[in-house]
Amino acid sequence: MDTSSFLVQQLINALFLGSIYALIALGYTMVYGIIELINFAHGELFTAGAFIGIIVLSALQKYGFVETHFVLTLFLVFGMAMAYVGVLGVAIEHVAYKPLRNASRLAAILSALGMSIFLSNGMMLSQGVSDRAYPAIFGMKGFSIIGARITYGQVFIIILSLVLMVALNMFVNWSKLGKAMRATAQNQVMARMLGINIDRTIRVTFIIGPALGAAAGVMVGMYYGSVRFDMGFIYMIKAFAAAILGGIGSIPGAVLGGMIIGGVEVLWSAFLPSAWKDVTTFIVLILVLYFKPSGILGEDVSETRV
Amino acid sequence: MKKMGILVLCFAVVMGFYGTAAAKTLKIGTLSPLTGPYAQDGTDILQGVKTAAAVFQKAGGIPGYKIEVIPGDSACDGGKATMAANNLINQGVNGVVGAYCSSATIPSSVPLNEANIIQITPASTHTDVTARGFKQIFRMCPRDDIQAWSTVKFLEDGLKVKTLALIDDRQTYTVGLTENITKFVNEDKKIKIVALEHITPGDKDFTAVLTKLKKINPDAIYMGVYQPEGSLMVRQAKALGIRAKLLSEDAVFHPKFLEVGGKAAEGTFLTFAKAPDTPERRNFEKTYKKMWNTQTIGSYGYYAYDSAMVFMKAVKKAGTTDTNKVAATIRDNTWNGVSGKIKFDKKGDRKLAHIIWIVKGGKFVPYWDPLTEKYF
Amino acid sequence: MGNGEFKKFIIYSLFLAVLILPMVGFPGTHFEAKRAFIVWGVFVGVLALGMLNQVVRQSGIYQKTLGGRHSVSHRVSKQFKKIPVRHWTLMLLAAVAAYPLLANNYMVDVGITCLIYIVLGLGLNIVVGLAGLLDLGYIAFYAVGAYTYSLLNLHFGMSFWLCLPIGILLGAILGCVIGYPTLRMRGDYLAIVTMGFGEIIRLVLNNWDSLTKGPNGLLGMAKPSVMYPAFSQGGLEWATYSLKSLHALYYFILLIAVLTVIGVRRLDQSRIGRAWVAIREDEVAAELSGVPTTWLKLLAYAMGAAFASVAGAFFAAKLSYTNPNFFIFMESCIVLCIVVLGGAGSIPGVILAGVLLIAVPEVFRELQDYRMFAFGLAMAVMMVLRPEGLIPATRRKLEPSDIETDTIEELEESYQAVDSRT
Repeated sequence: MDTSSFLVQQLINALFLGSIYALIALGYTMVYGIIELINFAHGELFTAGAFIGIIVLSALQKYGFVETHFVLTLFLVFGMAMAYVGVLGVAIEHVAYKPLRNASRLAAILSALGMSIFLSNGMMLSQGVSDRAYPAIFGMKGFSIIGARITYGQVFIIILSLVLMVALNMFVNWSKLGKAMRATAQNQVMARMLGINIDRTIRVTFIIGPALGAAAGVMVGMYYGSVRFDMGFIYMIKAFAAAILGGIGSIPGAVLGGMIIGGVEVLWSAFLPSAWKDVTTFIVLILVLYFKPSGILGEDVSETRV
Repeated sequence: MKKMGILVLCFAVVMGFYGTAAAKTLKIGTLSPLTGPYAQDGTDILQGVKTAAAVFQKAGGIPGYKIEVIPGDSACDGGKATMAANNLINQGVNGVVGAYCSSATIPSSVPLNEANIIQITPASTHTDVTARGFKQIFRMCPRDDIQAWSTVKFLEDGLKVKTLALIDDRQTYTVGLTENITKFVNEDKKIKIVALEHITPGDKDFTAVLTKLKKINPDAIYMGVYQPEGSLMVRQAKALGIRAKLLSEDAVFHPKFLEVGGKAAEGTFLTFAKAPDTPERRNFEKTYKKMWNTQTIGSYGYYAYDSAMVFMKAVKKAGTTDTNKVAATIRDNTWNGVSGKIKFDKKGDRKLAHIIWIVKGGKFVPYWDPLTEKYF
Repeated sequence: MGNGEFKKFIIYSLFLAVLILPMVGFPGTHFEAKRAFIVWGVFVGVLALGMLNQVVRQSGIYQKTLGGRHSVSHRVSKQFKKIPVRHWTLMLLAAVAAYPLLANNYMVDVGITCLIYIVLGLGLNIVVGLAGLLDLGYIAFYAVGAYTYSLLNLHFGMSFWLCLPIGILLGAILGCVIGYPTLRMRGDYLAIVTMGFGEIIRLVLNNWDSLTKGPNGLLGMAKPSVMYPAFSQGGLEWATYSLKSLHALYYFILLIAVLTVIGVRRLDQSRIGRAWVAIREDEVAAELSGVPTTWLKLLAYAMGAAFASVAGAFFAAKLSYTNPNFFIFMESCIVLCIVVLGGAGSIPGVILAGVLLIAVPEVFRELQDYRMFAFGLAMAVMMVLRPEGLIPATRRKLEPSDIETDTIEELEESYQAVDSRT
């Protein structure tokens, strides 16, 4: 494998990993942008999506649906996973975050942390402690670019991520609900005075954000091949780093952040001692937070809110 | 004040809650991670021990004795494992099968040694487990250097490779293996180690490291990882078009590897004990599958079953539960287990011959014997 | 119970059904109806109880039996309040000191673990409870104490007592190092950064083979020993008593815990403590009032780290073994749970929560699987229903919004109660 193939392959690896991080980061950034809460439970929403995906897919496979209606299968799997996690997101918001909207930061974060632990253990108890294997529907087939391999599954996931990101961007910028979300994120008091239903807006955010996380979960499960109850934690941290890196509250920022974190992770392992890969990710996060807390594309966030 | 009162009450309530157990029972405690990332193997261990108790009792057991298995959760944590061990001691266990992580086995072995209770670990491979002169501790799974030796012998004389790359996940078990493999390879000077890469347990994406290895193009890649990572790694390796031979160890020798790895797992070599096709083994597999409603048995289920069986058989043979006599009986005899012949040396380590298995047709199939250098 | 309540109940139950039935019902490919519906039933039952509780509370029955000035509970607690704090403390100390004499090894071991976590909780209480700095990487300081002792003891044979101050110093330094970049960060970012630091420390310990032996950990540290004068052949000599037995270790950690309680209480009631609370409540106002926020925040980190370091050294000595796996993020979460559930800033609260979170799961060992599940739920529920914790800090009681009293009399009573303690 010569150098150019090596580089292209690593770029493909980074692009794939980055897309997934970006998708999860989007969910994070949306929620944070609107209620300024780190949704620690987002990793578990991601995992829940993966589990629902596997449940639906296994059921469809049992009835031989997958071969005959491949595209419909994908719709159903993604759709039901996203719908389920949307409901779960709304439920969590209603139970654990809404009552704390006016409380201290500490209380809200701890509630989120508690929810995260509750959900991941709940999934452990209901789905078991071992990995669940995803039925392989994509296989290993792919094609080569300049000597680097990319599978059809990877192509599908990258394209789907792109589609979801563009759809989200369009929704947020052009639809009425999207405008309401942006207004609420900018200034909640003002938005309420202008007649925007804050509760409903937040609820919608908690449907869309987690749903994106769920889509990422299905992708991860489908592509890599297995799901486990605790897989959300590592993704959550990296996605959060990505969201902050790109500028929390900014949608293009989350995408950019995701790509950067994915890139750093892959390129570090590619050229430097791989044992320190995670340390690097954390250090990048800490440096960004120290030097530019608003992130790369974020607005200048003052330390104190008046 | 009210607060202090609550505290006093609390202490009293907690103190009053501990119970005790009955008599004329042979109590076997288990220490394994029932919660946390290794819970699958931990549960396999508990199930293996319970299966052994059931099979042993069905075959007659020890006349006049009931067999009771008391589970303990070590959670792969030294502090929790020690507490669990103390709990088992408190409940009057006669023997303990456990723990799984060496970082749990070593601390928990201290109170067990002080209470002079037989301890057989089915999974801890750290040298220190048996290196402290404890007379009542035994190791059912092979030490890292033994498994490493089988691997290196296979690489040198079976596959006859020239270059080798190693991957590990920075855990005691896997680092122990890769370090020993490195040591043996460097001694023999027949193979060159061209890379030592690391991954993080819990990660799903290993393409960066695998691409790096693809560029280096070794003849063989040794995946020193646990089963969840191993299953994903073979898939990604095949997707990247890596042609090197893939090898791994007994932690990956698990039906889940076949399930998740699927077609990508074909052709992977694994070191594991030679599984004798004895009636006992078939009986174990049948009983286990029935008791736990599963079609698959992980490697540690075998080791745990053997650990419990050896203990019970030794007690029966020695005619007493006195630890010193039982320990001597365990050491002085050769036992037939479902993971092969069992013979312990003075330190408590098991002399175990590994063979090389291969994944063929979606199954584990014996492939090569390092001792005889013959194919199966 | 109106129609609205009932409709709400139905809607919530349906939501629960949608969420629970698929996840619990499909551990494989078959729908396990029994399992799914039982779990759903449990949740619906809890929901029903909760809503019933709401309805009952609104009707005012509780006021009559539990609340108000002439209720049973009020009169009982009034009697309790008559006994001065000193007596309670002495009784508690006596019970705790007598505990090992009545308990077996297992119970003593559990007691030791409780006390270790109590020390950790009290240390984190300084950072989170008093100063309001959400530290999610606290366990790193625990690791520093453990590894300092381990390395110094194994390589240089230094005694526990010598390593202790060194560990404290290193912990405090690390606390400042971690604290410095976070000085200007907001609460949420602070949490993630400190979590990152915690993980970095653990990864460094795991990867730096030459220093820490990596994942193998360090084995064989000596237990702490005490010298005491004893008579022997040649007259008066120094003899050593090694704290090997569980009982000896228990009393040692008890001593550490008592000293920690005294230390934290002193800090809490000092000007430094008040300054920390000021920073926690409103940093800008504190800064404008002349509070040196920068170095006080660093001090909070350093002091918290010092206590964790002591606990870490003890832990390493007790097991004679240390390993990077002991210092994972979940441990930080557990200590944080203890502080939060007990009551941020409250010493008796942390003690109670420590006992509850460590001893109770040991008692109910069969339900180990549900331990973290329950903790997560408890944390979220606590924050929503009772953010001040099980035993709220005294200071909180002075906040107007928390006072449930109606009359001037009761207000005066509560002020007096606080005064009698400060």
